[in-house]
Amino acid sequence: MSLKKQDEMDHNAWLKEQDLTVIETAFLTTLIWLDKRLRIVDYLELLETMYYRANLQMPKSHTEQYDLDNKFWYWYPLYSLGSLSIIAYLVAAVSGALLGFYYAPSTAGAAAQGDPTAAYDSLVMIMTDVQFGYMLRSIHRWAAQFMVAAVFLHMLRVYFTGSYKEPREVNWILGIVLIGLTLLFGFSGYVLPWKQLSFWAAQIGVEMALATPIVGEWAAQLLFGGFTLGQATLVRMYILHVFVLPFVVTGLIALHVGIVWVQGIAEPH
Amino acid sequence: MTDDTTPMTDGGTDEEARTDGGPPATVPPDDETPTWTERKEQSSGLAQLTYQYFERSRREDEDLRAESTYVERDVLGFPAWPHETIRNLAITSFFVGIMILVAALMPAHFGEPANPGSTPAIILPDWYLYWSFGLLKLNPINPSLEVLGGNIAISNEFLGIIAHGIVFGVITLVPFLNKGSARRPVEQPFWAAVGVTGVILSFTLAALAIQNFFPISLDLLLTLTFMLPVAGGIITYAVLKTMREGYMYDLNRRYYMLRPPK
Repeated sequence: MSLKKQDEMDHNAWLKEQDLTVIETAFLTTLIWLDKRLRIVDYLELLETMYYRANLQMPKSHTEQYDLDNKFWYWYPLYSLGSLSIIAYLVAAVSGALLGFYYAPSTAGAAAQGDPTAAYDSLVMIMTDVQFGYMLRSIHRWAAQFMVAAVFLHMLRVYFTGSYKEPREVNWILGIVLIGLTLLFGFSGYVLPWKQLSFWAAQIGVEMALATPIVGEWAAQLLFGGFTLGQATLVRMYILHVFVLPFVVTGLIALHVGIVWVQGIAEPH
Repeated sequence: MTDDTTPMTDGGTDEEARTDGGPPATVPPDDETPTWTERKEQSSGLAQLTYQYFERSRREDEDLRAESTYVERDVLGFPAWPHETIRNLAITSFFVGIMILVAALMPAHFGEPANPGSTPAIILPDWYLYWSFGLLKLNPINPSLEVLGGNIAISNEFLGIIAHGIVFGVITLVPFLNKGSARRPVEQPFWAAVGVTGVILSFTLAALAIQNFFPISLDLLLTLTFMLPVAGGIITYAVLKTMREGYMYDLNRRYYMLRPPK
């Protein structure tokens, strides 16, 4: 007997100590030869997998795990609201990009008060002359409505299931910022057609800004391009709607989802 | 293994091992299925030799894996491919389809061109800003902030802006006030009641914004704007508090053992 440590995986040595018959030796030699080349042992694992498949047990669903299935469908239909917001945002982005080819952010062309401006005319053109234009504007508008609705409902779901709790405060605050920006997105888009309701909604915005002490006048000039509404207001809203907000909101949504990814989904129980 | 002394388990009904509903039974329990070693012991001749060889071969592979620097981890989760992807595709197509359907059935309307010279009878933002517009119409309660000289301390518009600040401030503070591990309204009737109060308040504020459409007096509408949310909150609190007693008992017993409330 040697002191050298035995090689456990020396199949030849193992064969010698087995004291096999000729048939057995031939069989095993063939088997080993084939297995070295074809890895038959791997197919055994496949067989094993098939065995488990045939006796399949599904993982326990969340409701089963927490013994909720006899109580309620427990919030699950509300779980796609966050992604619905993103889907609606993408639909609005695509349709908005197409609308951007036809829209003119200009108040020119109004000879008297109440006459249609170039912005208004371009929307009339989109809705009457452009092929599919009416549908395109409807889709853009409805995608915006869906996004705002989904964002509100998403916030309610997060509130009532306590998903904003301890490690997730930052994402809650980020969500509030995103809601504010979504509303600003909607507001700036509402102003763009430069119809009566758009104009007077913007008028309320200017008055609100001007009523704020210290920063009010500065904010009015920044957002509305002055204290009275006109070409500057429309251009500010246009740039906000098609250039500033898309980048900011897309970045913040990516951050929002990224934090969810890192922290994991806060499941109810 | 399947003798009389070993209890048969179904992977999660062992009360000793059970914590919060039992471990997830992702694979059949090992003690119910014979391993290759056990089958080898049951067989003889060439079959036994085959088993022996495969056992060794598998062990060889396992040793090689153990020596390697590659880290194998158990991952328990919903597979991203294909399950999650297909589910998301289905959800996405469904929602996009609904959006296009609604857009086709109810196309966007169009109003008069802007006229700075004539204020329309009704000025309204989109529906999602009704609550905000309602906050701007709080001027009837502004005189209560009156200082002794008879002047209002702040302008009506600024009152509305302050109200916005309060609303957003309160919402922002929520995670810093409400901690702990409770995740259901029944676990925390108070916070659920606060939430319901806020939801009803947003609806009543929206009603205040479109008060022209309501055939009731402004005084009554203002009263309802603030009384309805409070009433709704109280009812919610009472209902949830009652539900908690019976409905939550079983769950709490196990769940709080795992994560004690802070």
